[in-house]
Amino acid sequence: MKLTRRDLLTLGGGVTTGLLFTPVPWKLLDDTSIWTQNWPWIPQPARGPVEVKNSFCALCPNGCGMRVRLAAGWPVGVSGMPHHPVNQGALCPLGFGAHQLNWHPRRLRQVRHHGRASSWTEALGAFRKACAAGPVAIIDGYPGRAASSLFQSFSRRHGSYGVTLCAEERALGPYETWSGVPATALGYDLENTATIVSFGAPLLDGWSAPGRFTRLWSERSAGVTNPQLRLIQVEASQSRTAACAWRWVSIAPGSEAALAAGLARALHEEHRASENVPMPPTTLAEAATRSGLSEDAIRELARTMVARGPVLAIAAAPEPAVAALNIVLGAVGARGGIVRRRQHAESYASADSVKGPFRAVLIDSSVPGEFALRTDAEVFRFAAWEDPAVHADWWLPAPGFLEEPSDIPAAPASSIETYALAVALASPPPEVRSAAQFLAQVNPSLASVEKVIHERCQQLFAARTGHLHREQSTAVANLKSAEALEKEFRSGAVWMGDPPRTGGVRCQLREWPAQQAMDAPHAATWTGGWIPAVLPPLATKLYQESSLREPPARSEI
Amino acid sequence: MKTRYGMVIDVDRCTGCGACMVACAAENNVPPGSPRVTPRTGITPMLVHKVSNGADGEGRREAFLPVTCMQCEHETPCVSVCPQQAVQLDPATGIVMQMPQRCLGCRYCMTACPYHARYFNWWDPAWPQGMEKSLNPGVAVRMRGVVEKCNLCHARLHAAQEKAAAAGKREINPHDYVPACVEACPTRAITFGNLADEKDPASQAARSPEAFRLLARLGTEPKVYYRSTRPWVRALAEPDTGRKEVQHG
Amino acid sequence: MSRRSVTFGFGFLAALAVGWFAFPRALYVQRAQPLEFRHKTHAGKSGVTQCSDCHALREDGEFAGIPRMDTCAACHTDRIGTSEPEATLVDNYIKKGQETPWLVYSRQPANVWFSHAIHMRRAGLKCAECHGTYGESDQPRAYQVNRISGYSRDIWGRSISRFRRAPHEGMKMSDCEDCHRKRSIEVGCLGCHQ
Repeated sequence: MKLTRRDLLTLGGGVTTGLLFTPVPWKLLDDTSIWTQNWPWIPQPARGPVEVKNSFCALCPNGCGMRVRLAAGWPVGVSGMPHHPVNQGALCPLGFGAHQLNWHPRRLRQVRHHGRASSWTEALGAFRKACAAGPVAIIDGYPGRAASSLFQSFSRRHGSYGVTLCAEERALGPYETWSGVPATALGYDLENTATIVSFGAPLLDGWSAPGRFTRLWSERSAGVTNPQLRLIQVEASQSRTAACAWRWVSIAPGSEAALAAGLARALHEEHRASENVPMPPTTLAEAATRSGLSEDAIRELARTMVARGPVLAIAAAPEPAVAALNIVLGAVGARGGIVRRRQHAESYASADSVKGPFRAVLIDSSVPGEFALRTDAEVFRFAAWEDPAVHADWWLPAPGFLEEPSDIPAAPASSIETYALAVALASPPPEVRSAAQFLAQVNPSLASVEKVIHERCQQLFAARTGHLHREQSTAVANLKSAEALEKEFRSGAVWMGDPPRTGGVRCQLREWPAQQAMDAPHAATWTGGWIPAVLPPLATKLYQESSLREPPARSEI
Repeated sequence: MKTRYGMVIDVDRCTGCGACMVACAAENNVPPGSPRVTPRTGITPMLVHKVSNGADGEGRREAFLPVTCMQCEHETPCVSVCPQQAVQLDPATGIVMQMPQRCLGCRYCMTACPYHARYFNWWDPAWPQGMEKSLNPGVAVRMRGVVEKCNLCHARLHAAQEKAAAAGKREINPHDYVPACVEACPTRAITFGNLADEKDPASQAARSPEAFRLLARLGTEPKVYYRSTRPWVRALAEPDTGRKEVQHG
Repeated sequence: MSRRSVTFGFGFLAALAVGWFAFPRALYVQRAQPLEFRHKTHAGKSGVTQCSDCHALREDGEFAGIPRMDTCAACHTDRIGTSEPEATLVDNYIKKGQETPWLVYSRQPANVWFSHAIHMRRAGLKCAECHGTYGESDQPRAYQVNRISGYSRDIWGRSISRFRRAPHEGMKMSDCEDCHRKRSIEVGCLGCHQ
């Protein structure tokens, strides 16, 4: 019997009909649809226990408290720490994406020397040679930490120590010059002020620790016609702070000093100035011309300023005229003004002013990404993320976000002293080493960071002052031991000192300062306080996927 | 008691910082934008717009309007057009629940949404190598070709429900369910809560005289309210002929 | 009988045979667990009598699922028996600090949210109702994975036609829906999905 085509077709028909009575078509449909939903190139979140732990962000000197959510041992989300007395649970916009930074494409994972791969052994060798041959400068972007004391110990023997201060602290420079109290000991007593006159300082957008002023303003000022806290923003253009302020005073760009002098003059003329303060040489007419406001407007502004005290003037840059205005207003050393938050403080040399020539410069990873030094010295730069626009002879992979334990000194320009310990919650890549560890290898007699932290906890315990803030707060005097204090720190407690006393700082001023800012006005960008050379990947939502922000000057992902 | 989750966003308190946008993207495993992404093709379940009163020079005033899914209660436009029933108004919570895995990507819902609050995955999500370790396990990752939107941080509601169940309770503790944007805002501009509970602060804020809703005349009964003491901001709620520009993100 | 009907019938029967017998065998492939864990061994000897001794609810309501290595290491930091599976556990995983890569029978896709806390505490379900009596067995159980979908055979159920299933067999969405329908518990899409 020959098999014909018809047989084949009949057979096929039988098979097809038969298959319909089997699970095959239905099961295949079901399985294929599942297969199409599970493409292997779509990343899946890890499965594992979820924990929430406290730590602190050390990416900028504000040291915000963070609650970090971990899944299978890796940070998968961050939020603010509600019990932090300064941040009160807020974080900067970039902080919310910071847990992804450690995998940024520009993450530095290997020692690099002049562009080619190298090793720690070679770097150590080169640095030891440099130390033996001449003085070495160490630049620190986050002074006051335990690691910073290591840098200082090292530089006492081998060279010089310099710091880069953030804009808020630099703006306190004039007070340091006139009172002798280091800017790192001074702060703005915002919590007790009734009127703030900000000369371009972006108080509501990346100024000082996030949450510190924004919460205060929200509670006492926002959307209220007659607020408890009056924010007067003096600025050429309508920034976010100006748009939200109780009053926005639009002035000609660069005329802050002239206006400050004009206001001081107006206050003098109306006998509202503090005693022992020199009269500014600027006349009201000159101030009016320079600022673009009328003389009456300046007088009216001066009256409004002092209508409800205490008054505090804040400048974006180290502006001597604004500082002098504060003296006129009686804000220096007074409640609601410029206060001294600690007795013992050091005055640091600015990174730009450390006297060379140096054989080598070591730059810590806490120094802002765009900081560049004009020097012939060999530059050893620690960084977690590479910045191709900046030159360094040696790029040394440093710990990234939440990758190393550190202590957290008080935020710059804070009115009260705080202290906390940041625990490491992420494992660093194998080749990573911090500058403190590196220097300890060069000079093994240096105390380790852990040891310095331990000593500081002992001192804090022995002083028996201040309170520990957790969900409840406890007085330090009620704790049993320094070990108990340290344990509290490691689980996220924040120590807060006693409120500052008035009169802690006094400025001597013979004559009104010459109308020149001590350094160029800080170009305010929305990434202002952010130190790393890269933005978190999700920051693209802010400028590329919306028109909320301007794209940053440097090209980021 | 009935539960209707909603929010009241105080425009007078919003400084336009963008923390809510980043926190939202992190919570929802939204991938970083591709190099080709634009404000029209990006995925921003929370999107803050910059708006102004239309004047120039000294009289110009600006404000910020955070826009998210309005959780429309009545004849929810996206629900009524979806051919896949991939979105549903939850009778138990009032949340408009988007199921990206059920979506076939027709984008009819994007057309229907009056608030432009829905976003399409034009590309497969891609993270730099290793970054997938930082993904939130409470939210599934979407593939390309599906629409997504704000689900009021449903993963956090799940966690609150689970915690309550483990403790033997029927009702969740309201403090356990806080969406990412609400938690992130440095000025506490967003109040979140149960609009059906008269005592809830969100419900009280929604009933205050300064509260308003966007495009209320469409009758979709959004559960996201706004609040401002400034008349020009309240006037933004309804587009007016001959009115000034409203800058879109 | 005509030639046509014979040919047709032949094809028909061949399809039935392939579809009901060859297909299920070809569709699933067996994989070995990293080591042969036996529940009964633990139940008898070490006083581990309840499922929740190792498969516990954490404080925040999360379910431990397959225990992590530190649960096993609580007793097995070193070998306490003589079996080969234990040797594998101790030498290859506990000593090296690595999690054992168990193949999970009830693994659901990433977009599924199942809360053990709600089902155990609120609904009062017992483990065996969904997972069977595996916890009482002294035999290691074969892990069969669907070649196309990549999921365990336990999700579809042993029976390829899904007829005459054991009460606990099958973990597909329709199985969840059946139980919810029976108890009149309505949850929206995101009540089970994420």
